[in-house]
Amino acid sequence: MPRASASTRRASAAQLAPPVARGPSSAPLLPQPLVERLLAVAMERGGDFAEVYVERTLTTAVMLEESRIKSAQTGLIQGVGVRVISGAKVGYAYSDDWDEPALVRAASTAAMIAQGGGAERSFPVRRAAVPSHYHVATPLMDVDVALKTGLLSRADKAARAFDARVKQVNASYVDQTRRIAVANTEGRYTEDTQDLCRMAVQVVAQGKNGEQRTGMFGGGGRVSFTHWDTFPPEHVAREAARQAVATLGAVDCAAGPQTVVLAPGWSGILLHEAVGHGLEADFIRKGTSLFAGKLGQKVASDLVTVIDDGTVSSGRGSINIDDEGNPGERKVLIENGVLKNYLYDGLNAKLMNQRTTGSGRRESFKHLPLPRMTNTFLAPGDHAPEDILKEVKRGLYCATFGGGQVDITNGNFVFEVSEAYQIEDGKLGRPVKNAMLIGVGPEALKNVTRVGTDPMPDPGMGVCMKDGQMLPVGVGLPTLRIDNVTVGGTKVA
Amino acid sequence: MDYQQLAKKIVQRAKKKGAQQAEAFLEVGRQGSVRVHEGQIEDLTQSTSKGVGVRVLVKGRLGFAYTSDFEPAALDHIIDLALKLAGAAAPNKLNGLPSGKDLGRFGDTGLLFDTKVSELPGDWKIKAALEVEKAARAEDSRVVAFNAVGAGDFVSEVYMASTEGMTGAYSGTYVFLYAMPVASDGKGLQTGYWVDYKRFLDDLDSPESIGREATRRAVRMLGAKRVKTQQVPVVLDPLVASNFVSDLAAAANGNAVYQQASVLAPLKGKRLAGPHVTLVDDGLLPRGLATAPFDGEGVPTRRTPILDKGVLSGFLYDAFTARKAKARTTGNASRGYNALPSIGATNLYLEAGTKSPEELLREVDSGFYVTALLGQGTDPVTGELSAGANGLWIEKGELTHPVQEVTVAGNLLQMLQDVDGIGSDLQFRGGSVGAPTVRFRQLTVSGE
Repeated sequence: MPRASASTRRASAAQLAPPVARGPSSAPLLPQPLVERLLAVAMERGGDFAEVYVERTLTTAVMLEESRIKSAQTGLIQGVGVRVISGAKVGYAYSDDWDEPALVRAASTAAMIAQGGGAERSFPVRRAAVPSHYHVATPLMDVDVALKTGLLSRADKAARAFDARVKQVNASYVDQTRRIAVANTEGRYTEDTQDLCRMAVQVVAQGKNGEQRTGMFGGGGRVSFTHWDTFPPEHVAREAARQAVATLGAVDCAAGPQTVVLAPGWSGILLHEAVGHGLEADFIRKGTSLFAGKLGQKVASDLVTVIDDGTVSSGRGSINIDDEGNPGERKVLIENGVLKNYLYDGLNAKLMNQRTTGSGRRESFKHLPLPRMTNTFLAPGDHAPEDILKEVKRGLYCATFGGGQVDITNGNFVFEVSEAYQIEDGKLGRPVKNAMLIGVGPEALKNVTRVGTDPMPDPGMGVCMKDGQMLPVGVGLPTLRIDNVTVGGTKVA
Repeated sequence: MDYQQLAKKIVQRAKKKGAQQAEAFLEVGRQGSVRVHEGQIEDLTQSTSKGVGVRVLVKGRLGFAYTSDFEPAALDHIIDLALKLAGAAAPNKLNGLPSGKDLGRFGDTGLLFDTKVSELPGDWKIKAALEVEKAARAEDSRVVAFNAVGAGDFVSEVYMASTEGMTGAYSGTYVFLYAMPVASDGKGLQTGYWVDYKRFLDDLDSPESIGREATRRAVRMLGAKRVKTQQVPVVLDPLVASNFVSDLAAAANGNAVYQQASVLAPLKGKRLAGPHVTLVDDGLLPRGLATAPFDGEGVPTRRTPILDKGVLSGFLYDAFTARKAKARTTGNASRGYNALPSIGATNLYLEAGTKSPEELLREVDSGFYVTALLGQGTDPVTGELSAGANGLWIEKGELTHPVQEVTVAGNLLQMLQDVDGIGSDLQFRGGSVGAPTVRFRQLTVSGE
């Protein structure tokens, strides 16, 4: 069931739930005459618009635990979703049976949202060209599974070799080859193949008196399997192990407002939570986001420019087309602190008399498209990262992060800090445990006082959840200083 | 189609192709849901779905594949894939399907299926959702919008077969209503969330009560502000307390315990809380959302106390982890057709206490009543909790002003010791995890 909140987190090593795969990429997913027939059936009661969404996804997942490959699995999910729009009303039906009668039944069911009768019309479609922001020569589903399990065994060895205090290593690798086709009554037919892979390593380290700390790291993207030659599993494993060992001996975190400095990269989830979700057009149209009605207004410090970019080469959140068949785009959402744009899917754009920004995404054919983020970045500023730290007398340095969550309506967001250090006289002090940042989106962004020159994308491990739909996303941030942030902790001064 | 026969056929076919053990887990369902907006349908979704997962063992190696395509060629293909994947996995003598002694007789689940739900008229959901929206608006004029209002139902069937003699099936119904109104006082927005989710239509709260309560929860948060950083008694309402209950169960996961990756791992048999604290996982709870005769690998479900009158009495296991840990499976293998079984809770709840929620509040001089949490909750490895919290401030036993943008923090083990009041209002609110109002002697609230 949907909640009025959205969250992002690192995909954990244990999280092997689906991503997706495909057949030979030359043949269309569904024959064009059948697609056109489904569109005609969908419109038979007089809808304004209809769309056929076809998906075929092959997922492979391998998991390592206690230095053994625990399991290897693969699966195919395929289905067709038919959407009919009549005024502001949407009818949706889907089927995982591909035989014509089942698909026609789905189209008729979706059609019922419109109340009219009407003559049968035909809706021919033409295949449109799509851009190409990722190039995966060999589909990941065709890569031998032994190579995939091999990555995890290497990660396990590297993590255990990193430090004797490493006690547990869990690792996972998941990939999908997802093929989609979208056809609509405006005559547009598009297809895309979206390969995606991710490795994650989770480490538990044990210190004195039974103290245990965890570390987690991962990465991937819409990349060929050769990605792991330049982003080797040893690198992933050592970083996870480093985090776990570095936080042993962490002290209680002081509770209350502090100046915080965020390390670059994955910390971009702050942006994703603090502003990104609140700019999605469904919340804006219904007036349930605190950013509704604020276009052109100052919502952040002058130093803040936020961009959502679905065209980043090989990015985890990149899309050649969104799940409504529109090209992925680069959108400037906030420019020098001023709110410039929202994220639109087709339906909300139409109802709000705007243009879609190619932000209509869905988890699978079982879901309706929603306005969503792709890769969300903060543009770099002009402060040297080392100076940003040096200037802080007392504060908290947030090195690595768990996940975040936001209540879109009141803007409250949280941001879990899994590796943090006290800052004393511009230098890193002791690690602190159990820290969390909380704020209200626009207020936190008004308190941004330094933006580093060091933009950095995350390594490709973000999972965003909204209305029960899980999607791959990218985030990115340069080193950032925010003043007067409420830090959740256990120690009261 | 006879799905029970199909499951058996898949198993036989896998055996013929070289599997020493094989298991098929097949799900079939149909679902419908609606959302409404300003007295109109916003979207209406209807569907059917199905899928099967095949688990095979070859010389101690495990392979798994699934598909939503039931054409004979597609089924043959995933059996081949599963066998091929087994070749890529490491052999482990502990691998294997549950044996005859683990399978045994199914307990009594009572009824799982309500024909009133399976035969709901097509427009019931629409009417019910519209009533929820109307009641939510009528409750308070400060409601200006809705994040979502909706209703839905689904019917699901599960069929299983294995080479070890497991064969079984069950079907169940589910129906739900929810509302997320947004209230405004002209200065800020607040949302509320209320839901009910049941197997039986007669158990479901009325649309009117869902709408009204959602609005009450939104409106009372208007004007929320931070409070000073302090350590005070904290009371969790049942919706929020269910997160605490889930966190405890996550730490009682037999695999985390085996890996020593849980704060509870070394504490079996120890007293962790007062005698008023009993936490139970019960796969046979009458009318429970997660009630089923068998778990994701065919093992009979049962009642497993995790905390028995304050003493840590048990962990949750599936067959594989139980073998590793030299324990017995507790029938807690949880899965869908597209995933291997892993340990999960069934109907999980903290037993009700004797005091009313009002009494629990009345005994607090100054404290925090939490009605919504943000964040992931407790880290089971360290037991540390830090979460964003919204709610109401308690002064002299009364709820006073709303609070937001603060966090609560503590440690699971300390929190268990600090549970000093449990309400009589146990409820399963929107899921299979149930909790009453819970009061802690002291947590750190971080704010100004």
